[in-house]
Amino acid sequence: MAEARPTDPVDLVAAMAADDSGAPLKEFYALYASTVLALLMKMLGSRAEAEEILQDVFVELWRRAPQYDSSRGGVVAWVVTVARSRALDALRARTRRHGHDQLQFFSERHGIGTEGGRPDVLVSATRWHQALRQAFNRLSEEQRSVLELSYFLGMSHGQIAETLNLPVGTVKSRILAGMRELRTMLPIIHRSMVA
Amino acid sequence: MSDEKERAELLAALHAAGAASQEDEKELQALLDGDPSLEDVVRDFQDSIAALASSFDPLETPPRAFAQIQKKISRERGGFVNRLRSWFSKS
Repeated sequence: MAEARPTDPVDLVAAMAADDSGAPLKEFYALYASTVLALLMKMLGSRAEAEEILQDVFVELWRRAPQYDSSRGGVVAWVVTVARSRALDALRARTRRHGHDQLQFFSERHGIGTEGGRPDVLVSATRWHQALRQAFNRLSEEQRSVLELSYFLGMSHGQIAETLNLPVGTVKSRILAGMRELRTMLPIIHRSMVA
Repeated sequence: MSDEKERAELLAALHAAGAASQEDEKELQALLDGDPSLEDVVRDFQDSIAALASSFDPLETPPRAFAQIQKKISRERGGFVNRLRSWFSKS
C-alpha cells in the first residue's frame, strides 16, 4: 500500500476554509498545536494560560482561514503571527492587571533555548527543531537580545533602546543584522522541512 | 545597495521583527505601494522570524483542547446562523 502523503499546509488551510466537517481543522491542529503551545509557553510562562490561549488561537485561525493568502507569507508565519499576537494581548492584559515586569519575567525564562528536561516536551522534537536551533546559534548575543525583546515582548525599537540603554540607531542596526542573518538560514530551514 | 533600498530593507526587518513604530509602518506601506517587489523582502523576513518562533521543542497538548476548540467553533457558527435567522425574520 502506498504511504499517505502529508497534505500541503496551504491546501490544508484552503480545506479548512471550505470544509465544515472539522476534519481539515483536526489535521491542521495535529500539525501545529504542539509548536504553538511551545511558543505560547515561552512567551507567557504559564501552562494554564498557554493552554487557554491555544484554543483561542485555533478558533481564530479557523475564522481567518478564508482570508489566508499564501503570496503574503507561509503557513507557519501565519500561524505564528496569530499566536504571537494573542500572547502579546495576554501579556499586556497581565501587565495592566498586575503590573508585572515582563522583561524580568522573560529574562528569567532565558529567552530562546531548549525545553530539555520538561516532562511534557514531545520526544518527536525533530530534525527540523534541531536544524533551527543550530542555525539560530549563529546569531550573536546582541542580535538575539534585540530580536527577543521585539518579537517575544512586543517592544518597539524605541522601547528596546530605553531598556538596553542603547542609541535607537544601534538597536535598529542590530535588528537588521539579526534579520539578515536569519534570512541566510532560510535555505537550511527549508531543507530541514523536506528532509 | 542604494540608500533607498537599504532603508526599505531596514523597515521590512523592523516590521517583521515587530519593532516598527507607527511611522515606520506608514513609510513601509508607502514604499510597498510604489514597489511591490519589496513584498518578497518582507515575506522572507517574516518566514525567517516565524521559523525562529517555531523552533522551541514542541509540547504535548492537553487531551481535551481540540474538543474545546470544536465547541467554541460550533457556538460561533450557531451564533452566526441565529443572527442570520433573526435578520431574515425581521425583513
